[in-house]
Amino acid sequence: MKMLTIVAGVMLVFVFVWERVDVVRLGYQIERLKSQKVLLERERDQLQVKFSSLTAPERIAKVATEKLGLVPPQQGQVLMVHQSGDVPGLSLQPVGQVRLARHIAAGGVSE
Amino acid sequence: MTAGPSRGRRYAMLFLFLCGFSIILFRLVTLQVLQAAELTAKADRQHQKTVSFEGARGTVSDRHGKVLAMNVEVPSVFGVPTSLESPSTVARHLSPVLHIRTGELERKLRQDKSFVWLARKLEPEQGRRLEQLSLDGIGVVMEGRRFYPKGPLLAHVLGFSGMDGQGLEGLERRYDSHLHGEKRVTVLQRDALGRTVFPKGLAEQVPTPGHALTLTVDEVIQYIAEKELEEAVTHTHAKSGTIIIMEPQSGAILAMAVSPRFDPNVVAKLTPDRWRNRALTDTYEPGSTMKVVVAAAALEEKVMTPGSMVFGENGHMVIANTTIHDHEKLGWITFSEVIQKSSNIGAAKTGMALGEQRLYRYLQGFGFGQRTEIDLPGEVSGLLKAPKDWGRRSLASISMGQEIGVTPLQMVSALATLANGGVMMKPYVVSEVRDQKGLLLKEVLPQVKRRVVSPDTARTMTTMMEGVVTNGTGAKAAIPGFRVAGKTGTAQKIDPRTGAYSSTQFVGSFVGYVPAESPRLAMIVVIDEPQGEAWGGAVAAPVFRRVGEQVLNYLGVSREDTVKIALATRDY
Repeated sequence: MKMLTIVAGVMLVFVFVWERVDVVRLGYQIERLKSQKVLLERERDQLQVKFSSLTAPERIAKVATEKLGLVPPQQGQVLMVHQSGDVPGLSLQPVGQVRLARHIAAGGVSE
Repeated sequence: MTAGPSRGRRYAMLFLFLCGFSIILFRLVTLQVLQAAELTAKADRQHQKTVSFEGARGTVSDRHGKVLAMNVEVPSVFGVPTSLESPSTVARHLSPVLHIRTGELERKLRQDKSFVWLARKLEPEQGRRLEQLSLDGIGVVMEGRRFYPKGPLLAHVLGFSGMDGQGLEGLERRYDSHLHGEKRVTVLQRDALGRTVFPKGLAEQVPTPGHALTLTVDEVIQYIAEKELEEAVTHTHAKSGTIIIMEPQSGAILAMAVSPRFDPNVVAKLTPDRWRNRALTDTYEPGSTMKVVVAAAALEEKVMTPGSMVFGENGHMVIANTTIHDHEKLGWITFSEVIQKSSNIGAAKTGMALGEQRLYRYLQGFGFGQRTEIDLPGEVSGLLKAPKDWGRRSLASISMGQEIGVTPLQMVSALATLANGGVMMKPYVVSEVRDQKGLLLKEVLPQVKRRVVSPDTARTMTTMMEGVVTNGTGAKAAIPGFRVAGKTGTAQKIDPRTGAYSSTQFVGSFVGYVPAESPRLAMIVVIDEPQGEAWGGAVAAPVFRRVGEQVLNYLGVSREDTVKIALATRDY
């Protein structure tokens, strides 16, 4: 009985020490993750600035005209497509549009 | 017995102890009571260090969330001259990274100071190279730097902020109280060697960033306006130019372009003249565009109808010993034609029929002589004298847009009132303010200022202004497939040397809205001092057409001649 009490006491001391050590270890881990978070946030912001610069309309227009040889649409080249059912019996649902666009993007409309 | 000398020694010892304790007590009272305040302050100075942390400045985005201004943490480098052994060697290492001359760096590093900034807010790559160098006595800290990723786009509206993050111009200044991050002052303890002992939990005390602004401006529309304005100003060799595009029903500003442009990322070498937002800080005599306001007042007061006949005096009319000219000899014309042909004599007669008080009341009603109260700094109220200060010719002059100073914003606001059925809206550029978690703090809703004219008058004016584009001076503003209502304006500038109207310096403008039947855009184009042909119909109207056409396409506004197409839904 006495032996059991001593073993239990030693075990408790070990648990206590292990717990303290683990708290310190987790503390370091938290600090490391926090620093990592700060660095990642910094990188995210830098990428956001880069993304915003690259998507500036001025730059896109320059690339489109100078690199790709595109020109602004001329009169009559822009055609508005109405979504509302102007023709009885026919309708264009937004879902249909999305599907259509996706199929085209995937390499042509398929049956 | 030897009690005598023993007692004497005891007394002597007691006396010595008493003296000693008295001295200690005296010193204690002096230090702890008499000099307590002074010494506590001295100790605090030695043991404590106060540092301030500031949260990142808020982001500014366009109406679709495209970022126009944001803060990024970038490296700043400092030196501790007192701990440097060889300032010249350190300066030689730093010079190629910082792009600063070795001599200049060495001079800074030789100062008798414990801290000196060497370069602030550098590129991230420079920071990485500095860390690789790992020089003793040189440190790198991260500071927030303001970036305007779109460069000059919307620069006159955005403004810019200073090195220490304070808003200096434009929205950065107007909304500084929202944009700037929380400033938190923390007291750090220092040990006997002067090393900083960071208090527990400091890492969690990151100051809250500033609020984010969402604008009414659309970056694509802004780009179209800036691109066309730059081209027009370059092509006409003009001094400057302005375009404002407004949503008539709400007063929301969709674009505000000023030429010449500037890049808010690099303002150090520019003068205020370059970053002034001329759309609301500069006044000009509007010339013929003012005839629209006079005509609306005359219709509202039933002084005129579109069919009223007005005699054009064959192009010459004498008022107060001065002669008013028209650019063509006109006889009897309808009131609609007065606007269509932009007759000065017709406008002067309309003004005289209205009378001073009524005309003044409508000028005020349309917002002239007062700020529009747009949420941007630096707006001026323009020049509108009270009738008691008018001369004998003033009534005629003001009716044709002279003797009155307006800002481009006031003029487009007045036209937007007609586009909006006679109701004037308050112009605004910020639609939302949100905190760092995205919580909505402030939502700006369209605000009615007042009704200026009836819907009937607004409709009639629209029809009359459509005539300006279909058969009048504004033909070059016509956008195929859309009905455009607008008015040209060509005003002589006053020559500051002579004080008289210049025969070479003009302001050409066009102001209008489209589609006339259901306006989506109210727009003004002002070209200041174009060289060569300076008529508003020649220099500004084509810009209106080009911008209007592209913006309407971008917004997906249907043309009158649109072929109605319907597609069948198909399941995949």
